[in-house]
Amino acid sequence: MDSLNIPATGRTPGVTFDFAAGHLRLHGESYPDDVATFFGPIFTALRAYLAEPDDRPIRFDMELLYFNSSSAKVLMNIFQMLEAVAKLGRPVSVSWCYEENDESMRELGEDFSEDLRYVAFSLRDVPSGAIG
Amino acid sequence: MKFNLFAAEEQAIEKARALGETLAVVAPDCVSDFEALVDAFQRSTREQRRLVRVSDRLQAQLGTANQELERRRLEAETALEHLREAQEAIIQAEKLASLGALVAGVAHEINTPVGIAVSCASHLADATARLKRLSDEGAVSRGDFSRYLATAGDTTDLILANCQRAAQLIAGFKQVAVDRASAERRRFNLGTYIQETLVSLQPKLRPLGHTVSVLCPPDLELDGYPGVLSQILANLVMNALTHAFPNGRVGLMAIEVEQPDSDWVRLRFSDNGQGMVEENRARVFEPFFTTRRGRGGSGLGLHIVHNLVVGALKGSITVESAVDQGTRFVLLFPRQTPERD
Repeated sequence: MDSLNIPATGRTPGVTFDFAAGHLRLHGESYPDDVATFFGPIFTALRAYLAEPDDRPIRFDMELLYFNSSSAKVLMNIFQMLEAVAKLGRPVSVSWCYEENDESMRELGEDFSEDLRYVAFSLRDVPSGAIG
Repeated sequence: MKFNLFAAEEQAIEKARALGETLAVVAPDCVSDFEALVDAFQRSTREQRRLVRVSDRLQAQLGTANQELERRRLEAETALEHLREAQEAIIQAEKLASLGALVAGVAHEINTPVGIAVSCASHLADATARLKRLSDEGAVSRGDFSRYLATAGDTTDLILANCQRAAQLIAGFKQVAVDRASAERRRFNLGTYIQETLVSLQPKLRPLGHTVSVLCPPDLELDGYPGVLSQILANLVMNALTHAFPNGRVGLMAIEVEQPDSDWVRLRFSDNGQGMVEENRARVFEPFFTTRRGRGGSGLGLHIVHNLVVGALKGSITVESAVDQGTRFVLLFPRQTPERD
């Protein structure tokens, strides 16, 4: 399956989904004008990828610095999709990046992980200005 | 009792659990679907909590950003205020410096008649001493005496004329200098005042052969601030001398005054110099705009002219110029300057 690469803009995140390597990454800032238009094709690709029978590991890097409420719901939906394949036995890890000193972003990460049982969730702090 | 934002949802979940127990007895087939429904509702409640937290975080970030914006706005305003004060200070300093130049110009101008008077007086003193010596020896001839009379007549005429010239210069200069420094309002004859101002500029004009012609209705009397006018003219002349005539070109400048109607005065200052390109013409009145940065240009001369015409004379100023077509400044201002508010 082809990888999905969308460069970041001021309002929309960079998307780097390397399906062959099982490496998915969202980075930058996310407050698109129209959530459905931006995330619709991403969900379609992700759904197709997860539907293929495969047991190679998946790694998801959440490197958004700033996201609005709709994007938060998008993240939760992605996490649920990953949780579903992990529950079937596929190794899935999620890494939640936050800038050091950004306590509230770290706590949000903890909150977001509360429904993940089969996904290996980790928090990763990076120096401020290092991601994006 | 502890405040709980999601108390209603939690109560609903408890009720659903109780209902689930009843359901297990009355409709066991439905239990697994019902439990999935309760799970979905519970997850939805957790998601709602997260979304509220995300939203609160965004709100807080917005608040911080607004505060930061306000702080920077204040900083920028303060910086602008300081800049304005600094500009004002520089402009005042420039005005004082031009007053200094005026003093130097007049001192130089007075030097000539005073010098002539001194040498005439010294010549007369020598002739007198010679005649006295002859007289003491009783050897004064008719020829000696008439030669002495001729010398005395010539030298006293010259002394008188030059001392009068010096006195006239001092009187004119005194008026200009006092007007410049005091900014007092009074009535004055425009033509005479233009001439008096030009006297102080002669040392700058004469060595290079530049001339300024003046065409002004002789009886035009203004009621306003002569010092302002003198400063404007001096700056216009100095600007022309600095820019219009490179490489020793001999320049002609003209000041023409007319009255479009009895309440207004139009003063045109023109030179036949090299003119300027449109790009510079459009910017000549901007503060600190200069084509001679680092070569003595402060970029304030014409800005001060503009300020004075608009601010003090309550008039307007325009400039026309093109390369090799000379430059014309046209000032239009009320004959009687309105009272300052």
